[in-house]
Amino acid sequence: METAWALNAQGLSKSFGRKVVEGLTLTIRPGEFYALLGANGAGKTTTLRMIAGLTPPDAGRIEVFGRDVVKDPLGAKAIMAWLPDEPLLYDKLSPLEYLEFIAGLWQVPPELARRRADELLELLGLWPHRAERCEGFSRGMKQKTVLAGALIHDPKFLLLDEPFTGLDAGSARLVKNLLTRHVENGAAIILTTHILEVAERLASRIGILAGGTLVAEGGLEALRGHAGFESGTLEDVFLQLTAG
Amino acid sequence: MFKPPGFLWLLRHELKVLWRGSILVRTHRYVLVPASIVILMFQAFGVLVGHLIMRHPVAPEIMLLALNINLAFLFVLMFSRAMMACIDVLYARGDADFLLASPIAPNRVLAVRMLGVALSILAPWLLLAGMLANGLIIFGQLWALAVYPMLLAEALVVAALAFALVVVLVGRIGPMAARRAGHSLALFTGVGIFILGQTPHFVPHAALAGFWSGLLPGPGGGGLAYLFARGVLGQPGPLLAALALAALVFCLVWVFLAGPFARGAISAASYRPAGREGAQQARFRHSAFSSLMAKDRRLLARFPGLVSQIAYRSLTLIPVVAILLGKVVIGLAVTVPLLVFLAGQLGLFFISVLAQMNDMPALIASAPVAARAPRRAAYLVCAQTALAIIGLPVVAVLVKGPALAPVMLLGVAGALASNLWLGRRLPIPLSRAAFGKTQVGTLLGLVLGVSISAGWALAAWLVVTFV
Repeated sequence: METAWALNAQGLSKSFGRKVVEGLTLTIRPGEFYALLGANGAGKTTTLRMIAGLTPPDAGRIEVFGRDVVKDPLGAKAIMAWLPDEPLLYDKLSPLEYLEFIAGLWQVPPELARRRADELLELLGLWPHRAERCEGFSRGMKQKTVLAGALIHDPKFLLLDEPFTGLDAGSARLVKNLLTRHVENGAAIILTTHILEVAERLASRIGILAGGTLVAEGGLEALRGHAGFESGTLEDVFLQLTAG
Repeated sequence: MFKPPGFLWLLRHELKVLWRGSILVRTHRYVLVPASIVILMFQAFGVLVGHLIMRHPVAPEIMLLALNINLAFLFVLMFSRAMMACIDVLYARGDADFLLASPIAPNRVLAVRMLGVALSILAPWLLLAGMLANGLIIFGQLWALAVYPMLLAEALVVAALAFALVVVLVGRIGPMAARRAGHSLALFTGVGIFILGQTPHFVPHAALAGFWSGLLPGPGGGGLAYLFARGVLGQPGPLLAALALAALVFCLVWVFLAGPFARGAISAASYRPAGREGAQQARFRHSAFSSLMAKDRRLLARFPGLVSQIAYRSLTLIPVVAILLGKVVIGLAVTVPLLVFLAGQLGLFFISVLAQMNDMPALIASAPVAARAPRRAAYLVCAQTALAIIGLPVVAVLVKGPALAPVMLLGVAGALASNLWLGRRLPIPLSRAAFGKTQVGTLLGLVLGVSISAGWALAAWLVVTFV
């Protein structure tokens, strides 16, 4: 069944003693690249974790391509990939073994998984290091390995928390192209980043979180309108909207 | 004007870091109560031993020999621990570069680290030997006070030599292999002590007596080889000489290493680990469960010190094999509690390894697998590995005594299942947590796990003996 929304999150709230996310509504269409911005502690990571099915919301409903994350977690997770801000890697496994493990968890048919693993390792420049244990990898290489893991099962919906941390300029360009191609093929992506240039260049829509609520959403022009600016960079707009 | 912090300030910081990383603090807070009870029991035992020594005085040369052997074993056990501690403070803890980038003199940082390691390896032995010394002091034997400075002297020598060896070893074979060397040293010492304890069973009495009498110090007190032992006996000359020698060794190593340490040649950043190889070919699987099991098997197989840790626990197999081969004439039934105990201990160890290496539950939680699947896969892998180790002796015992089968199988299964369940919730501490990370293992898990293994073994022994 085709659904209009890749993500349909309504009225999400979460508190850990204090309110972290409050009444958040987010919708993303298939083929859309959405950037979620906010200052430290604005609730971005908690929002992504709720969508990924890792943190149950106190209130609200989340559907990913029509699958309810709370009621049908396995069904929703099967079409999602979540990339945390710290690369979750087993130091004692090699990239190839890591991809083998991730492909097994998402039950990718073995032949397809092998082909995709080879492609991703080649594309991300990890092929020469495919059999080395990750314990000696730099932050950038670890980040590329987990990105390959996120893409190996060809997810329809990607949640990326600071995906460009540690990547050099060449690798960052490579990853941007890879993600753009993924979106062009009909997948949807939501990413958080503090590099506003990335959000400005990649995202078709940007949401700005402050104090756990969405204070503005839209393209750069719409955000300027929210901020009361006629011109100005995304940085100016962001600082204006999150001030105070 | 800014004044760099002094030596004592830095030492206090170092001891605080070491204390917070120590097994007692990083473990469950409730363990302090049973630990205090154990310490009191040891102290009571120390008083009893002190009383026995007073009642049955030993000839001085025998006393010297016994002390020397104990000091030698202590030296090796401390050395093994010191090697691991040196690797931690130089290469693993991650704050060496941070301190080197500060305005504190590098040689001061190194001295504090060496002293910190010496004090950390000294603490448990000081506690144990101190209890015996206290037992003697209570009966007016004030010379026993010399135990305290002499153990400090030994710890200083051990720490200094361990630092020197670790720097050389890491430069040649890397920190992982150096750590393995430390584990192996402890293992060989453990096996050596065990074999020495068993010598009366397989060495003729006359030959053994000849061997020991050959080691006795001569009328001159045994010379330099017995310097530390005579120091422990409170003889002022040897005591002062041993302390001076320890300080000299410590300072020599410190001076020797200070230069390379200041240049950053002895730090994690200076060592680039060789890319250790994993599998060259992937074997992609259809099932999530088999992928989880494959991952757990790999993590288990790659745990540093796996072989030495298994060998430690499997010392229990030596009497089992001796009984099976007829070298020891005790009933076959004795093997049942031994194997039951081993099953429990292996299960506890394996599940603790996985609990510590599987430190990213969020990754698996984000995958479309049932929440119980990772737990079951870990249980299965640990049980399989434990059974692979004890399988052959268990079968051999059952072939010789089929009637033991129900108790054996029930006991092994019970001990294994109980400790797998426990170890997943309260894993035992196996290795120091990475800098900035929290230690997963707890001493309470260790105490409870050993108690559970012993409980099942006792139950098995009672059944095979009385039922």
